[in-house]
Amino acid sequence: MNTHSIRFRLTVWYAALLGGMILLFGASTWLGLAHYLNRSLSDSLAKQAQQIGENFLTDVGVSGENYVISEINEHFAPEMNDHFVRITRADGAVLYASGAPKSGSFDPAGVAPVSGISSQQFTRGAHLPGGGELMITALPFTARDGSRFLIEAGASYEQVEDVLRGLLLALALGLPLTIAIAVAGGYWLMRRALKPVGEITQSAERITSRNLGERLPEMRTGDELEQLSISLNRMIARLEESFLYVSRFTADASHELRTPLTILRGELEAASEQSEVAPNLRETIGSALEETERLSRIVESLMAISRLDAGEARMEHGRLDLAELAASTTDQMRLLAEDKNVGLLCEAERQVRVEGDRARLKQVIVNLVDNAIKYTPAGGLVGVKVWASDGHAVLEVSDNGVGIPPEALPHIFERFYRVDKARSRQMGGAGLGLSIIKAIVTAHGGQVKVESVEGRGSRFLVELPIADKTSK
Amino acid sequence: MRLLLVEDEEKVSRLIVKSLIAERFAVDVAADGARGLEMAETYDYDLIILDLMLPGLSGTDALRQIRHRDEHVPVLILTARDAIGDKVRHFEIGADDYLTKPFAFAELIARVKALLRRGAVSRANLLRVGDLELDRLSQQVRRAGRRIELTAKEYALLEYLMANAGRVVSRTMIIEHVWDQSFDGATNIVDVYVRHLRYKVDEQHERKLIRTARGVGYAISDEEGA
Repeated sequence: MNTHSIRFRLTVWYAALLGGMILLFGASTWLGLAHYLNRSLSDSLAKQAQQIGENFLTDVGVSGENYVISEINEHFAPEMNDHFVRITRADGAVLYASGAPKSGSFDPAGVAPVSGISSQQFTRGAHLPGGGELMITALPFTARDGSRFLIEAGASYEQVEDVLRGLLLALALGLPLTIAIAVAGGYWLMRRALKPVGEITQSAERITSRNLGERLPEMRTGDELEQLSISLNRMIARLEESFLYVSRFTADASHELRTPLTILRGELEAASEQSEVAPNLRETIGSALEETERLSRIVESLMAISRLDAGEARMEHGRLDLAELAASTTDQMRLLAEDKNVGLLCEAERQVRVEGDRARLKQVIVNLVDNAIKYTPAGGLVGVKVWASDGHAVLEVSDNGVGIPPEALPHIFERFYRVDKARSRQMGGAGLGLSIIKAIVTAHGGQVKVESVEGRGSRFLVELPIADKTSK
Repeated sequence: MRLLLVEDEEKVSRLIVKSLIAERFAVDVAADGARGLEMAETYDYDLIILDLMLPGLSGTDALRQIRHRDEHVPVLILTARDAIGDKVRHFEIGADDYLTKPFAFAELIARVKALLRRGAVSRANLLRVGDLELDRLSQQVRRAGRRIELTAKEYALLEYLMANAGRVVSRTMIIEHVWDQSFDGATNIVDVYVRHLRYKVDEQHERKLIRTARGVGYAISDEEGA
């Protein structure tokens, strides 16, 4: 998963935000509930103490202490209700103390005795030695005869804690579940919302200089993405326009050069055929004719490249065996290599079928092999190989010649680019050979790659889509 | 032989006329398509050279109308357009040959002669230039009676030169006949082969037969100098 994708990042943010909010909400609920429960517990304890005092202790001088004890047991039954009740006289003697609760949740003997009677009602928490914690509300009470007592009513915190624990458990289970649902939902929503972006990306990938006429699908979503697809299409239209302009300009320019070149050539040819021309002038005319021819070749190449680039070139389409084409073409060029005392080896035994324009693909091989021979000194070796790999037909032309300097490598397929200006001009090139190769290969849906080490040689790889994978 | 040239570019037409007259053809010139069509309909020409980019009636339309009236007159198309699609279309309409500007005038003459079947390509079984003989049946080459061993390509090259003896053939023409268009422009393959051929044919002889027309091409002839 791409952790930088908008979908991923937005989902993470969304989940974090939601998680934080739920935590905050849970914490405040928990605290509020704890506060409320404690408060209501202490209120009910205070009320209990109050009732004991008013109902049973007011006339203790008349009714007697045993009455008090039996009344408390009868009305409140602290042992049955998990409550703690204790009444202490002003002298510290205990009038009444409830026994151990039936549930055994605490041991009333562990509650420390009071030393004196405070003047005000208060609530305290008492940790018992045998475990458990009680909330005890102590109420000072004065009977009708003036004797003073301290009534303590207590209850275990456990019931409060039980409720709080339940809430905590609900939160602990609910939080991850809620976040998981939110993440899944958010992710799905994002995917739905961003699906057009994927479509736009895919179509945009497909558009190259060769099919600038194509457009992205217009999103009819009425949102920002529709706007984006419309804007991108407008941009592609502008690109197409300027691209066409450049290629039309190149085609027009080379076209316009043809007529003057024809005239120049005709005049020069006519002049050289006149018998009274002096030998040195004949040389000059010959040289001018050679340059005219070179100019014609440049015009021809430029025209060919701009046609191929604009996709206007009419291509023959047929199935052919690239290995056979490479072998026969290499064979026809053997003399060129021998003439320079350069070895020329061709390894292309197995049939590799491709679809394309035979004459143009042959031109690719001729240009590559010719270049390799040109830039390999006597005694060197030029190798041509054809093989199939991964659904590609691969043509390799390698040499152990002068190589290409690393800073030149990225530019060698550019028009008019020359690695070594002096040398290549001397060879009669115009720096268009590799551009033509690239234009032809691109028009066939393939690509050209180059590897080179200066002083050790170069390796050109032409990859073309294979026509039939089952062929041997 | 009477030829019609339909070409609006005045200088180009003047040069073509000059080189055709030098080959002893009679040439009429029309500067636009309508006039060219009118002349083609009025007179009986042996061959029409037709430029495609013409003011008014285009060369393509003129060709269509010429073909409508006369199926046989050879038409050589002259154009600044070189798209293969164009070429195919015009052959379909009825052009007999096609030459792209800029062209070597030697090539134009060679093509005109080939279309007129007037000594353009010798069909003889035995070709002879000076004391050099080429036997098309046995595919053997002799100079002054001595056998010269040639490779297949060297033989094809020599045969083409000898079939056009006395005329300059351009590199483009040689490449088209002996190799194919894929080799055009990129390599100096013609020069290398001619050098090898020269070595075998001329090296041991006082009289050199193969000569270079610098910037144009090569020729084989028995004439001195030229």
